[in-house]
Amino acid sequence: MVQDTVTGFLLAGVGNVDLRRNTNYLIVDSTNLLCFSILLSFFSSIKTTVKAIEEAFKEFTTKDDIAIVLISQYVANMIRFLVDSYNKPVPAILEIPSKDHPYDPAHDSVLSRVKYLFSAESVASGRR
Amino acid sequence: MQDGDSSNPMQGVAEDEPNGECGDREEQALLFLDSLDGYLALLDSLSSSLRQGWLELACARQSMGSSRVSSTLLDLKAQSAATTVLLSELVEGSSADPRPHFTLSKWACLKERKSSSDELIDGKLLEDRNSSQLRHRGSKHIEGARENSSASSESTAADLNVRDLSPTENSSATSESTAAAENFCIFQKRRYKALSVFGAFVSPKLRAAQFSFETALETIVEIANTRSSLLSSFSQVQKDSKPSD
Repeated sequence: MVQDTVTGFLLAGVGNVDLRRNTNYLIVDSTNLLCFSILLSFFSSIKTTVKAIEEAFKEFTTKDDIAIVLISQYVANMIRFLVDSYNKPVPAILEIPSKDHPYDPAHDSVLSRVKYLFSAESVASGRR
Repeated sequence: MQDGDSSNPMQGVAEDEPNGECGDREEQALLFLDSLDGYLALLDSLSSSLRQGWLELACARQSMGSSRVSSTLLDLKAQSAATTVLLSELVEGSSADPRPHFTLSKWACLKERKSSSDELIDGKLLEDRNSSQLRHRGSKHIEGARENSSASSESTAADLNVRDLSPTENSSATSESTAAAENFCIFQKRRYKALSVFGAFVSPKLRAAQFSFETALETIVEIANTRSSLLSSFSQVQKDSKPSD
């Protein structure tokens, strides 16, 4: 599940734990929710609420030392409005697949933004 | 091409546009489509790398035990990230706005990170290139690895006296390969340090999983750069389409 993704990326050397035990990662309970940013941030909690995910997302996207935020697409769908309304170039928000939820291009925020170029419908009307 | 459709700037070009502007629009559209295709291909590649990594982690967990292979072991003590991303600005063309460019710095500690945008991949040092050309599909790392493999083969040939090199060329090639070997040793040490959190003896599958996730990280940085290129070309296409609305 999500633990595996976090463990794997920590093995690759992107984990950061400061002296106050603040981590740059958060595992959101056992229902395949993961947020992760490079330099680098994950989410780690038990039964994390949507509000906690939103707060962590806002925290990671406002930090100066984070260049890329990785978020499982399943988690991103829980805070979709927040992810879609984010439009800064840095940190880059990348939606990645999780073990139980493969990547779906239809929900990707970047692809949704450019989708209208291939269709007469707007992104908003497509979602409704 | 058909006459321009105002609701879809990707279709058609107005007949009365000068040829130069028409060429620029087409170039931007091609760049956008190329970036889009590259983005989807890289995401597919990332999915494969992650699946490989998950499978190897599952094998490692089976052989070592689930309590030994867990992320909780990694947050017991303070540690700084050994793998980071360097951020720079890239300008493509005279009219384009600068966009962010991400470079992965693997297994490098803070003291050794250079201020210039050097790229460290598997112990081989590459110089970052600012390119004003259209971005090509495919990993910059693969191109860099090819360059390095050719450089390595050249240094090997120099050692075996297969090629007739001057003493200066010979020494520079040897020093390059020595530096690369030293960097590789440093990276191996840091890889083992990351693995040592899980115990002194770890399953080979855990090492393989580490490599898979390193590959996934490289793909992620490529995706970030492609995303940046995609959004930049998207905004250019939108700007170009405005006069026809």
